[in-house]
Amino acid sequence: MLTPSYLIQQFINALNMGSIYALVAIGLTVVYGILRLINFAHGDMMTVGAYLALAVLSSLALPAWTALLIPVFVVAALGVLIERLAYRPLRGAPEVAMLITSLAVSSLIENGATMTLTAQPRPVRLPAELVQRVDALGINFAVMDGVIVALAVALMIALSLFVRRTTIGIAMRACSENVRVTQLMGIDVNRVIAVAFAISAGLAAVAGVLWSGKFGIVDPFMGFVPGLKAFVAAVIGGIGNIPGAMLGGYLLGFAEVFFVAFMPPEVSGYRDAFVFVLLLVVLLVRPSGLLGTREVNRA
Amino acid sequence: MLSVQDLHVYYGRIHALKGVSLEVHAGEIVALIGSNGAGKTTTLTALSGLLRPRSGSIRFEAQDLTRLPVHQIVRLGIVHCPEGRQVFARLSVIENLRLAAAHRADRAGIARDLQRVYDLFPILAQRRDQYAGTLSGGEQQMLAIGRALMSRPRLLLLDEPSLGLAPLVVENIFRVIETLRRDGVTILLVEQNAYQALRLADRAYVLETGYVKTHGPAHALADDPAVKAAYLGG
Repeated sequence: MLTPSYLIQQFINALNMGSIYALVAIGLTVVYGILRLINFAHGDMMTVGAYLALAVLSSLALPAWTALLIPVFVVAALGVLIERLAYRPLRGAPEVAMLITSLAVSSLIENGATMTLTAQPRPVRLPAELVQRVDALGINFAVMDGVIVALAVALMIALSLFVRRTTIGIAMRACSENVRVTQLMGIDVNRVIAVAFAISAGLAAVAGVLWSGKFGIVDPFMGFVPGLKAFVAAVIGGIGNIPGAMLGGYLLGFAEVFFVAFMPPEVSGYRDAFVFVLLLVVLLVRPSGLLGTREVNRA
Repeated sequence: MLSVQDLHVYYGRIHALKGVSLEVHAGEIVALIGSNGAGKTTTLTALSGLLRPRSGSIRFEAQDLTRLPVHQIVRLGIVHCPEGRQVFARLSVIENLRLAAAHRADRAGIARDLQRVYDLFPILAQRRDQYAGTLSGGEQQMLAIGRALMSRPRLLLLDEPSLGLAPLVVENIFRVIETLRRDGVTILLVEQNAYQALRLADRAYVLETGYVKTHGPAHALADDPAVKAAYLGG
């Protein structure tokens, strides 16, 4: 049972799931940090990204990498548009108003997709070069597995540099401390928020494309469960904290995959329950998450 | 330079400013004094655009500010250094300073202003890469003022710069304010410490429960028996 190759396979699996959860969790945490909005429509950005990738792969005579690039840009733009139309008018209203609106956006996307594309899951056929298996570092894995991890890590490094070094990155961090005072610095916070939504939705699109590639399937509700898990990951890491979202994502990926791998089959069906138990335990010990700082009341 | 006419501001249903009018001329230091809740901070908050007045006008060199977004007001040269320092604790000192200059395009000017801030507050140069949250209260106030200078103010709105600071630090801050005036920055100063404020200012307005109770040259107010009794401890 517990052969080395089985363990390695599970390890790769966990890295994959963790990478995807981390990408989705970062997007949630970036938006939450600035607007204190738990964006329930975030998982649906994965779905839109995955459908777009499917469309590019199956009907357009374009190279395979465009099946990643096109969804990223289109979904980033969609994220900005949704913020402009749905969330910005509610700025200054109680936080719960925006939260409910995001539920409505989510429902709109899921049901819109069901009506126009049917609820029937569609198979995703990856290009042959992504399906083949390779031997590297003494491990045998599919190229797609490597792509998922490499892409996620590269994006996370790029985002960290962006947030550390660029002016707009500094402004994003300033906004997550205090939006009003950031305005007093002469910063147009609407622009900062638009950039945050573009990044958030763009990363979710990547995650959606990777997820559909890994599981080979797309359906209108595919973003719901990973979106929820990513929320758990973001909270475990300390919501609003970007490194926390990465940590939480990988932690969750490993916990979930190894739970299924090591528990007897009659228990492993409770993987989702296990995820939430993990959340409860972390929050009992560290109420602000692993890397979170205690929320100070904002004026 | 700045002309405020009959300003009415509400916090929800609380009528906080009930028709405040005031003038600030170029090169002046004008003090707003008054007790807690008189409307001093509210006035500054309305000037920087964070609070919108229900009625009344705010003109800065013939331009109406009441509809302008906050960041545009800053770009006109009205820079608000808020009460309680409000530095970004999880940004480094240099990031706080850089952020305040982010809307400017003149690289050489930004470098000059940064040097000027370091000259005024040498401790900030030493703490350059430290998180602002690790600074002492006095250092944070220096950073807050330094940050405001990085936005290149023509009119600086200073809210309680001496609040909660040790006497030596307060003296240092007030010295810097005088230096700024000599450099041609116009200042609207809110202070609880009416004695210090009147010593420094050219003119002053005394606010009471949302009204301008009296105003005039600072030295005249300092000698006014009523002002003395109410704000200068007799």
